[in-house]
Amino acid sequence: MNAFSSGDPFSRRRFLRRSGLGLGSLALAPLMQSTTRAGVHFPGKAKSVIHVFLNGGMSQVDTFDPKPELTRRDGQPLPYDNLLTERRTGVAMASPFEFQQHGESGIPVSDLFPHLSRCVDHLAVIRSMHAELPSHELSLMLMNSGDQRLVRPSLGSWLNWGMGSENRNLPGFVVLCPGGHPVGGTNNWRSAFLPGVFQGTLVDTAQSDPRELIAHIRNSRLAPEEQGRQFELLRRINARHLESRPGEEALEARIQSFELAYRMQIEATDAFDISQEPAAIREMYGKGQQNQQLLMARRLVERGVRFVQTWHGKGQPWDSHGNIKNAHRNVAQACDQGLAALITDLEQRGLLDETLIVCSGEFGRTPTVELGVAGGGATQGRDHNHWGFSLWMAGGGIKGGTIHGATDEFGFKAVENPVSVHDLHATILHLLGIDHRRLTYRYAGRDFRLTDVHGHVVDAVIA
Amino acid sequence: MSPGRQDERGISRRLKGAVGGSLLGFVAWSLPVSGEEATVDFRQEILPLLSENCFHCHGPDGEERKADLRLDTFEGATRDLGEGAAALVPGKPSLSRLLSRIDSPESDEVMPPPDSGKSLTPGQRARLRKWISEGGRYETHWAYEPVERTEIPPVATADHPIDSFVVRRLEERGLELSDPVDRRTLLRRATFDLTGLPPSWKEVQDFVNDPAPDGEAFGAVLDRLLESPAYGERWGRHWLDLARYADTHGGSAIGFTRFPFSYTYRDYVIGAFNEDLPYDRFLLEQIAADQLDLPSRDPALAALGFLTVGRQFRNVHDRIDDQIDVITRGLLGLTVSCARCHDHKFDSIPTTDYYALHATLGSSRVPFELPLVGDPEVPESYRSERENRYRLRNDMVREQGEVMRGRLRMQVGLYLGELAKGTPEQDTSTFFLSYRTEDTRPKVLEAWRRYLAALDESDPVFGPWHRLSTIEAENFRAECAALVAQLEKENGDPKAFANEHLLKTRPPKWNPRVLDALKARQPNSFVEVAEVYGEVFAGVHRRWLGSLLEASIEAEPGGTVVPDQDAKHAVVNSAIERQLRHHLYDPGSPTALSFEKPENLTMLNRGVRDAVRGTLGAIHNLDLGGTAPPRSMILEEQSPPDESFVFLRGNPVARGEKVEPRFLTALSAEGGATFPDGRRRLGLAQAIVDPENPLTRRVIVNWIWQHHFGRGLVRTADDFGTRGEPPSHPELLDYLAEVLLEDGWSLKQLHRRIMTSATYQQGSLENRNAREIDPQNDLLWRMPPRRLEMEAMRDSLLAVSGELDLKKRGGRPFEEKDEAAVGRRSVYAFVNRDVISRMASTFDGADPSACTVKRPETVVPQQTLFALNSGFVQDRAVALFDLPEIQETESSSARIEAIYRRIFSRSASPEEVAVALEYVGEGSEDTNEARWSQFVHALLASNEFLFVD
Repeated sequence: MNAFSSGDPFSRRRFLRRSGLGLGSLALAPLMQSTTRAGVHFPGKAKSVIHVFLNGGMSQVDTFDPKPELTRRDGQPLPYDNLLTERRTGVAMASPFEFQQHGESGIPVSDLFPHLSRCVDHLAVIRSMHAELPSHELSLMLMNSGDQRLVRPSLGSWLNWGMGSENRNLPGFVVLCPGGHPVGGTNNWRSAFLPGVFQGTLVDTAQSDPRELIAHIRNSRLAPEEQGRQFELLRRINARHLESRPGEEALEARIQSFELAYRMQIEATDAFDISQEPAAIREMYGKGQQNQQLLMARRLVERGVRFVQTWHGKGQPWDSHGNIKNAHRNVAQACDQGLAALITDLEQRGLLDETLIVCSGEFGRTPTVELGVAGGGATQGRDHNHWGFSLWMAGGGIKGGTIHGATDEFGFKAVENPVSVHDLHATILHLLGIDHRRLTYRYAGRDFRLTDVHGHVVDAVIA
Repeated sequence: MSPGRQDERGISRRLKGAVGGSLLGFVAWSLPVSGEEATVDFRQEILPLLSENCFHCHGPDGEERKADLRLDTFEGATRDLGEGAAALVPGKPSLSRLLSRIDSPESDEVMPPPDSGKSLTPGQRARLRKWISEGGRYETHWAYEPVERTEIPPVATADHPIDSFVVRRLEERGLELSDPVDRRTLLRRATFDLTGLPPSWKEVQDFVNDPAPDGEAFGAVLDRLLESPAYGERWGRHWLDLARYADTHGGSAIGFTRFPFSYTYRDYVIGAFNEDLPYDRFLLEQIAADQLDLPSRDPALAALGFLTVGRQFRNVHDRIDDQIDVITRGLLGLTVSCARCHDHKFDSIPTTDYYALHATLGSSRVPFELPLVGDPEVPESYRSERENRYRLRNDMVREQGEVMRGRLRMQVGLYLGELAKGTPEQDTSTFFLSYRTEDTRPKVLEAWRRYLAALDESDPVFGPWHRLSTIEAENFRAECAALVAQLEKENGDPKAFANEHLLKTRPPKWNPRVLDALKARQPNSFVEVAEVYGEVFAGVHRRWLGSLLEASIEAEPGGTVVPDQDAKHAVVNSAIERQLRHHLYDPGSPTALSFEKPENLTMLNRGVRDAVRGTLGAIHNLDLGGTAPPRSMILEEQSPPDESFVFLRGNPVARGEKVEPRFLTALSAEGGATFPDGRRRLGLAQAIVDPENPLTRRVIVNWIWQHHFGRGLVRTADDFGTRGEPPSHPELLDYLAEVLLEDGWSLKQLHRRIMTSATYQQGSLENRNAREIDPQNDLLWRMPPRRLEMEAMRDSLLAVSGELDLKKRGGRPFEEKDEAAVGRRSVYAFVNRDVISRMASTFDGADPSACTVKRPETVVPQQTLFALNSGFVQDRAVALFDLPEIQETESSSARIEAIYRRIFSRSASPEEVAVALEYVGEGSEDTNEARWSQFVHALLASNEFLFVD
């Protein structure tokens, strides 16, 4: 039987019991420091994932998918009949940004990403992504959990459940977002029917004191040495209780959990404390919460956190319905330097090979100009577009310098090698050594999968 | 007692599913499962194996079936596969293809196929072979068999029926029950079990010192606990897990939307448990209280929250799916939702069954106005303010609806044009688009499609449309002209209908405006015909509005009075115009939409829609306010209900066969009855509580058992299907299901029966010897120790610190912010479906997005961090230490004793006193308060506090 198709997250404990170890003896071993299961089904290249979420939706024709034909037809109606998006759009709107080819691969990137464009040879750009509906909530849920309506476990939850943790002193699925919740809130990182422990832990990166980032990570009333004394007392009380209930696993497990929690108090705050980084590194990532939280993401994957998701900010910052020229410029500027630094930094530390970076929104934007909701004129912005959009991946097993798929001549709809969100998920799992068809969880009488009954691995982006 | 009807055909009920020719197999329950020699038990051994490994491709789902082979029926398995071969040849393993394919060394031959990741162990293969050689008999899946009253086995060492069943199984394996626990432990166990709270020191002393015999003394304890309102709060919370209860809608983009009255359902549930409402009545009310002929404000109507407090999906079919799931998985232990897109892969649940339930539930809506619960006080200020807000909403809906309808009347050409182009049917069940005036509304388009299809071909206006729709494209213009000429001829002399201002003028057979317009335009295609119709209707609407204005002006003070049949009123009086106007202004017209239905609001232009939603929000906000009286979240069945169809692959626009509202075929008598209109849900509820239904009673007694023992006799408490685990004690399960009926569906009586057994009262210590023989404690050689759930933990902390107010029951949910404790029971806390609370995700709270029959149990450092560092736990320690009974002690030792009594309802041992004294410092009781509360804190964090033996 495959250990990972059972509903029991503690099969490791069962294994230990079967091998005659038991949790008591485990306490003597270095505490579950490495329970990695990278390569669940086959050897995987990546061990962890950083998903940079450009929530609101990045415009493909303004970033990674240049369309000369769109520029040529600027201001003219485009020959689309029935590509409905959320709001009414009008004529073609040329990109206000300049594209240039970069690196050896010559991947074109617009001037929105001057820093990142120096790293293009690490990137695989998929230009033929598509989702199902032009709605933020639904597309966010699709991107995060593979189902746009029902509450299902998110990618990060699946990975942690399937692969286990590399660092039991830290949550395996960390969500970084400055200043509040993105649209859809916790639905984006739910564990749903997987146990609650696999839910993403939200960390508000606008909060500057690292000790405030994880719930109850410190005791604000007890000095450390007082707490040490109290902890010793608790150990004695629990040990006495266990004496009269010898071999009781549930009690042993909680005792171990206390030991872990006690140590976490120090390690977890360290992990989130970017002030411990040298000044040069901090400067390399650039100023601002969006840049700096990418540095925090690196510290986390370095310590074995399996899945880190960074969100640009609360709400939907990339949702440039109006004046995309300024709106996209502002949001791109806030993360461009950090994205380039993340790739460079991971590479310098030898971690890029085992860290998969995925940078995407929940959908793209229309090449046509949005007409105002109130019946007024054009907004100089772009509407949601699930028919076609771009994203990029780098690191862990990705073939850098790749462009995969294409949209039509104006950049509206994916037409060549279309890649669904399920395909993306299948590919991510593959890079981590997981066969998406075999990562299943029995719930309500059914074996559920992240990719449901869909998904094909996109081999073209894999090294 | 039960109003549930008896099924006359009872025993002849249709046994579907894994039914073979033989129904012999009922003998096999009690036989030991393992051992090479034992006769193979089809239900226990073979069916689960076939289901797990084969049914995905060779099971009930006809569409996915491979090689036209089905292994879920005897007939299917023995079917001739050509050349005399069959998958199953009874008695002849060597001829059975089933075995040869499973054993095949060829990767393209072997079954299950390698890429399924499944394979059979040598042990399983041996049993399969033995089963075939023993005749390969099929039996009904155990859960579909009628509940049978089984004889209580005579066991010398047991005098309680439950113990007889349990001890017999234990003895077969050389095991026995653990020794019974002492009175203190038993009281603690029973009190937590029934109330979710710790017993007080005094309660322990009373019981321990009760001179009555054990049985009698404990009987009195059970009576006291079951009569306590805390019982309903505890078991009501268990039920709310199953009912996926929450106080918010779920799925909000930003923030969340509260239900103003979800709490009335919660309070109904708690009340039902406390009153020991018979379980069948409890279900009838929750599914169909509105169809039980109750008074219009009957408090029992709040029971319908069971169906209405689910997640408020935007798509109505998802909401119905949620209701189907909670009913079937929660009450019947069946995963019917699997059949939404295809026949169930493992159980006999075809998609037609799913859509029969869809028809049953989908014909009901939440009405705009909810009934008050009973006769509460309605403050005058609330009443008048609500009226004002309603008026604003009604006025705005009426006016903006009129504006919208006026526009739709000008846009007939837009919609006819889409139809003429052949635009396929639109899914109208999801709304997310922002509309502007010029946008096509899919719902209006579909209304036009249905409207035209239903019209008679002799309709004077659309008769020509129907005929033109069949004309070939190439010679359109000429054929159209010919048709128009012919219809004009049929109309006869135009003079006959020339006097349009006279009300007596009779219109011709075919509408002349339409014919004239077609003649003038000479359309080249059907799309152009649509344009012609559009222009005609736009003209009609314009003329009608204009002549209404003129006719009104005549009545203005000083206006010129014109006789009613004057030529000036030709448009108003015209019979020809009336033929056309019928299609614009008749209440059945696609353009005469009502916006009273909330789901139609989305068709208004975005800005208007948002404004109307604002007025609804204002009513909603008023109802959320403290003075709003309670209301029941009811449902009402629509009359007449829409027709229902199977949605192929779950797609609402791919309609399959028509379905009637009825129960699941596997659980119905042959040709099970259609539920009557107006009482569809009642029909469903009655089928569920029908004593002949084999699942309902088994599922509820298993659920109750699970909450006493930490797990059910059937471990997969929400899946009694072929992929679920078979019961560990099938006869006991059926015994309990039978006595439930004898006890008039009383759940309190069931608690008594369970808790008076030695099985329940046995010790919980680990036993290595027994663990070797029965590693999972399936046979119950001990009581599994249990950890307090989130609610019981929080409530117990507040109870021992003296801060829990047990008198304050029910009402609007409270919110606990920044750990500033609210001294109320957790069941009354606000449950947010959109933002799962930190407590709930840390402590395995039930996920309110779907029916939870069993919570997961995790051990993670976040939990122990809470115990070590949270203000909540430390505040309780301080509050406890401040209690007079602690403060007013005379020595440190006495104080330690008082603290132990308070927290653990027991005395401290000398050793414990010594450890405590060492910690707080001898004689320091007045000076080192911080140490004392740290000591209390440690006890509250300890395992003894959180675990129940």
